[in-house]
Amino acid sequence: MEIVFLQLAIVFYLLSTGAFFWPLMSPRPLARSLAPGLLCGAFVAHAGAIAVRSLSAGHIAVVESYEAVSFFGCLLAGVCLLVQLRAPVAILGAVVSPLCVVMATGAFVFSTQSRDLPPSLHSVWLPIHVTLAFLGNAVFGVAFSASLVYLLQERQLKSKKGRLSFRRLPSLETLDALNYRVLAWGFALLTLGILTGAVWAEYVWGTFWVWEPRPTLSLVTWVMYALLLHYRTAGWRGRRAAALTIACFIVLVGSFLGVKLIFPGRHGGAFG
Amino acid sequence: MDSRTTNLLLMGLNHRSAPVEVRERLAFDEDALEPALRRLVDHMVVREGAIVSTCNRVEILACTPDPQAAGEKITTLLAEARHVARPLFEPHLYTRVGKEAVSHLFRVTSSLDSMVVGEPQILGQVKDAYAVSSTLGALGVILHRCFHKSFSVAKRVRSETRIAAKAVSISSAAVDLARSIFDHLDDKTAMVIGAGEMGEQTVKHLQSNGIGTVLVTNRTFARAVELARQCNGTVVPFDQLHRHLHLADVVVGSVGMNGYLLVPAVVDEVLRERKRRPMFFIDLGVPRNFDPRLNDIENVFLYDIDDLEKVIEDNKDEREREAIKAESIIAEEVESFWAWLSSMEVTPTIIALRDRAETIRQKEVEKALASMKDLPPQARQAVEAMSAALMNKLLHPPIAYLKASGRHGAGPEAEGVSTVRRIFGLDEDA
Repeated sequence: MEIVFLQLAIVFYLLSTGAFFWPLMSPRPLARSLAPGLLCGAFVAHAGAIAVRSLSAGHIAVVESYEAVSFFGCLLAGVCLLVQLRAPVAILGAVVSPLCVVMATGAFVFSTQSRDLPPSLHSVWLPIHVTLAFLGNAVFGVAFSASLVYLLQERQLKSKKGRLSFRRLPSLETLDALNYRVLAWGFALLTLGILTGAVWAEYVWGTFWVWEPRPTLSLVTWVMYALLLHYRTAGWRGRRAAALTIACFIVLVGSFLGVKLIFPGRHGGAFG
Repeated sequence: MDSRTTNLLLMGLNHRSAPVEVRERLAFDEDALEPALRRLVDHMVVREGAIVSTCNRVEILACTPDPQAAGEKITTLLAEARHVARPLFEPHLYTRVGKEAVSHLFRVTSSLDSMVVGEPQILGQVKDAYAVSSTLGALGVILHRCFHKSFSVAKRVRSETRIAAKAVSISSAAVDLARSIFDHLDDKTAMVIGAGEMGEQTVKHLQSNGIGTVLVTNRTFARAVELARQCNGTVVPFDQLHRHLHLADVVVGSVGMNGYLLVPAVVDEVLRERKRRPMFFIDLGVPRNFDPRLNDIENVFLYDIDDLEKVIEDNKDEREREAIKAESIIAEEVESFWAWLSSMEVTPTIIALRDRAETIRQKEVEKALASMKDLPPQARQAVEAMSAALMNKLLHPPIAYLKASGRHGAGPEAEGVSTVRRIFGLDEDA
């Protein structure tokens, strides 16, 4: 059942990728709601797959690395859809959809039996902490997408080679304003994620903070985004802000994967 | 062609041949136009004449039996009427004779010779110049016809090619680009530097797309006030341009000047003042108003007129086809006008009619002037001019009639010719 949902999600992600890229390639427009509709279908199927797996495992399915990747992809799609409701930035789907294809496919390929959690981690804090932290990351993912599109549009305008298709991208001001707003949201969510983690750690391990790779890198990420937000508020904007947003997100993804694969601590996969 | 007794001569300078310093010194304002035209048309060397003077060009068209003498006369006239030494402008002057003169006038009127090809204002400007020359009686059959033909050619070019769409699309390309940079235009400010035609058109286009505020600055203050009034803008004195620059999100430059008005150091400073909010510079000036290196500054976007043309150049072949189409319309119309002129020229009846009229005119003028010996030379000229105008006007209908009948085949032509000859007594001894 879970596999069927995941396959369905992958197919929809692929279709929505095509639909989001279509206006960049062809002068003939598609129905405006087609691409977001496909992405929405993918999101529902993907969420269904995660729900089925979580129910059968008895806890939220974000314990294995690939589970976490899959969960992140699903949230990214969801946040991207939410943002599209608020601003004319459908083009973000052209960045998010292919990322989701990769993440959902990864989950599909590396899928294994779910492992039992140590009893110490069975807690209502698990879904709260994990969802907030991942939601924050997904929001940063959208900021990253907006920045990528910003740089693309900016280069088109600077180099003056703007073909017709690129003139349909959202305006720089729209992308820059979106980037700023989204960063603030992501930062708030990440902060809550870290705080709930600390509270939970106090319950489980009797201390608010353990200096382990995962939480430490979260803190590094948090400081990085705090600095980025600070500079944005101080008046940084445009290309520099976009480039920094991209750099921050790359560090975030890198540290996430690095921790999962290289230094698993008590936090996360190895449950020491 | 050299044996013809009527030829056309066009002399002038435009934005390509002459820098603005020369153009502005030679340009005729309305008050200067009348005495210049009276001087130009002496009914001997120059039988008919017209002056077209805009900020981008001065063109003098003359109908003359002797283009060389007329050329000399025009050059002297320019030097004396505008108080400019000949060596200063002579190298920038171009001379077109015969068909080429006609072709040049047609190209100018059709806006093919404009700085921004296809801009619509030039037709109105030529029409105004025609009206002035016409009211002063400086035009005769030939130039009347020539100008009317040029208006219909301009109309044909406008309706049969997409040349005219180009000027509009330059300002709309600028607006499109502004929309790629800015989300809303209604909270943005545009500053237009220089009240040139394209700048005006672009700022009006921005305005119809909802730009919030318009600032206008120009070296000639009155012109800035005029444009500001038209687009509900605020005037900024030209020397305070830099102080107000930080207010502008879109800066349109259309100043005719050499050297850059804005350089990177200045704009960098302005950007700091604006907290690096993006600025869009649209450089419509030729030569360019803004240093091209502005584009290298972060959050600054600079497009000059060539860049804008490239943006709209979606289909190069189509543009070339349009240009070829326009040029071939003009070539066709020049031929048709020239055929008319030649037929007029070779028709012996018309020559005879003209000669008869000219003989009478000269005789009568001499008689009249002889009785008023102490008339000042100006008044003498006026009498000359008036008599010539009278003759020209009187002869216009019969000559037009002859032309018309000439186009209807042999029978009626012969009839028409003999009628005219009889009415005017051309076969009797004068």
